[in-house]
Amino acid sequence: MLEFFTAWWDYGFMRNAFAAVLIITPLFGLLGTMIVNNKMAFFSDALGHSALTGIAIGVVLGISDSLSMLVFAVVFALLLNKIGRKSAASTDTIISVFSSCSIAIGLAILSKGGNFSKYSSLLVGDILSITKREIISLLVIFAVTFLFWFAAFNKLNAVSLNRTLAKSRRINVRLMENLFAVFIALIVTLSIKWVGILIINALLILPAASSRNIAENMREYHFFSILFSVFSGLLGLIISYFTNVATGPMIVIIASILYFATYFYGKKL
Amino acid sequence: MRRKYGFVAALLCVLLLAGMGLTTLYVDSGKQQEKTDLVVVTSFYPMYIAANNVIGDLEGISLQNLSEPQTGCLHDYQLTPADMKKLQMADVFIVNGGGIENFLSDVAANYPELIIVNASENVELLEQEAHDHDHEEDSQEEIPLQEDVYLQETENAHAWMSISDYMVQVETIAEGLAAADVSHASGYRENAARYRQELEPLAQEVSNLKEKIGGGSIISFHEAYDYVAKDLGLTVAFTLNLDEERQVSAGEVAEVISAVRDGKIQIVLAEELYGSDMGETVLKETDAQVIYLDTLVSGDYEKDSYKNGMKENIRLLKEAFAQ
Repeated sequence: MLEFFTAWWDYGFMRNAFAAVLIITPLFGLLGTMIVNNKMAFFSDALGHSALTGIAIGVVLGISDSLSMLVFAVVFALLLNKIGRKSAASTDTIISVFSSCSIAIGLAILSKGGNFSKYSSLLVGDILSITKREIISLLVIFAVTFLFWFAAFNKLNAVSLNRTLAKSRRINVRLMENLFAVFIALIVTLSIKWVGILIINALLILPAASSRNIAENMREYHFFSILFSVFSGLLGLIISYFTNVATGPMIVIIASILYFATYFYGKKL
Repeated sequence: MRRKYGFVAALLCVLLLAGMGLTTLYVDSGKQQEKTDLVVVTSFYPMYIAANNVIGDLEGISLQNLSEPQTGCLHDYQLTPADMKKLQMADVFIVNGGGIENFLSDVAANYPELIIVNASENVELLEQEAHDHDHEEDSQEEIPLQEDVYLQETENAHAWMSISDYMVQVETIAEGLAAADVSHASGYRENAARYRQELEPLAQEVSNLKEKIGGGSIISFHEAYDYVAKDLGLTVAFTLNLDEERQVSAGEVAEVISAVRDGKIQIVLAEELYGSDMGETVLKETDAQVIYLDTLVSGDYEKDSYKNGMKENIRLLKEAFAQ
C-alpha cells in the first residue's frame, strides 16, 4: 500500500515537480499575505496575464521566452505602479486597462497565422515544463525573497497600513512598493508555465485569504498562509498524478476547499 | 485559540485522507493489467487502430493509446502525468510524426531508451498550406523552429487521411514492431499484410471515384482533407485550417467566400466539430456544397473503425460528386 503511494518518486518529472512545489508554494503563501492586505489581487492577476505579451515579444524578437516574459513582467509592474500613483482614475480601472491591453497584444501576436494552439499550454499549465534549471532559478528566488521579507517586512507593513505614516517614518514608500511589485512579477513569471495563466492568481490569493479568515495576528497570518499553500500544493500535485488531472487546477481546488472551510469556521468564531 | 489549531489540523487531515481515499478508489478501478512481454504505446487514435490491426491476436503484447479518444488532433495536446507513466512502462512508442506530436521532444529527452517508431517515415508528406496569403508573405516563419526532426511545422502530417499513405504507415509500423520484437516479427508482417488487403478495396473505390470526377478544385477547412483531395486527384484551391483553438478573423471569412465564388468551386470539405459554423456561412452565401468528412481521429477502439470511417467518407464524397 505504501509502495503504491510512493511510486511516483521513481519518475524524474515528478521529482522535479515536487521540488518546484516545495519551493514555490511557501513563496506564494508569503507574498499572498501582503497582496491580500493591500487589496492587490487584481494587480497580481494582471501581472499573470502580462505573461502572454511577454512571450509574444520573445517570439517576435526571437529570444528565449522565459527571459522576455521576466523582463516584460517587471517593466509592466513598475509601469503599473507609476501610472497608478499619478493618475486620477482609480487603481482598478488602470489595472484593468493595462491587463486587457496586454492580453490583447499577446493574443494578437501569438494567434497570428492561427498558431495559438502551440501556446495554449500556458493557459492551463504544463507540469513537464519544470526542468532542473528552472528549479535552480526557483531556489535563488526563494532565498532572495525570504531575505527581502525578513529585512523589509516592517517597512512593507507600515506602507501597507498607512502611506503617510510610513513617509513620516522616513520610509521610502515608492521603493518599497516597487520592490514588492517586482518580487510578485518574478515569482509569477517563474511559475506561470506549469501553473497556467488562468489560475496562477488563485495560488497567490487563496492561501492568504483562507489564513485571514482565522488568523488573529501577523504571525498566525503568515503561518497559516504558508501552511495552506504548501499543503494544497503537495496534495494537489499527488492527486493530479494519480487521477490524471492537470496539476494547477487540482491545487487550486484544494486551496478553495480550504478557503471555504476556514470561511465558515471564521464566521462562527 | 487552541481550538483553532485543532480545527486546522483536523481540516488538513480530513482533506488528506479524503484525497488519498478517493484517489485509491479511482486508481483501483482503473488498473487490472496482465503481465506482458512487450508494451506498445501509440500517440493517438489512427495510430492505435493501425497498431491494433498489426498486433492482432498475438500473445503477450499490450497495446495502449496515449491520449484520450476525444482529444482529436494532437496539435495542442499536453502530456498528463498518466501519459508519462504509460510511456515509462512502454517499450515501443508509435507516433504519426510530421510534427503532430509536439511533445515528442520532451518524451525523447525523458526516455532515451524508448524505441520511437515514426509511422510517416516512408510517407511523402504534403507541404503545409500557408495560412496567410500573398499580402503577408514576409512574416510567415517567424516562430523559431526547435531543433527537432519531428517538429517540422511546414509539413502537413495528416497522412492517415490518404488510404494509400495509411497503408504505407501500417507497413512502417509492422516493420518497426518487427525490429523491436523479433520473436513476433513474422506475426506482425502477416497481420499487416492482411490488414492492407482489407484496405485494398477502399483504395480501389477511391481511385474509381477519382477517374469519375476527373479533376477539379475544392476548398478544404482542415489540412487533413488535403490528403483526401490528393487521393481523388483534386486541386485544393484554398485551405483554411479550422483546427482546435483557431481564431478566424473576419477578413478570412470574406476571403473564403470570394475564393468559392471566383473559383466557381462546388465542393467544400469541412469538419463537423470545428468547421460547421464556417460551413454554414459558406452554404448561405454561395451555392457550393459543404461535405462534412470525418478526420478519423476519434471513435471507438474497434479494429475496423478506420475502415468504417473511411467507407462513410467515401460514401459522402460519392454522393456529393454524383450531383
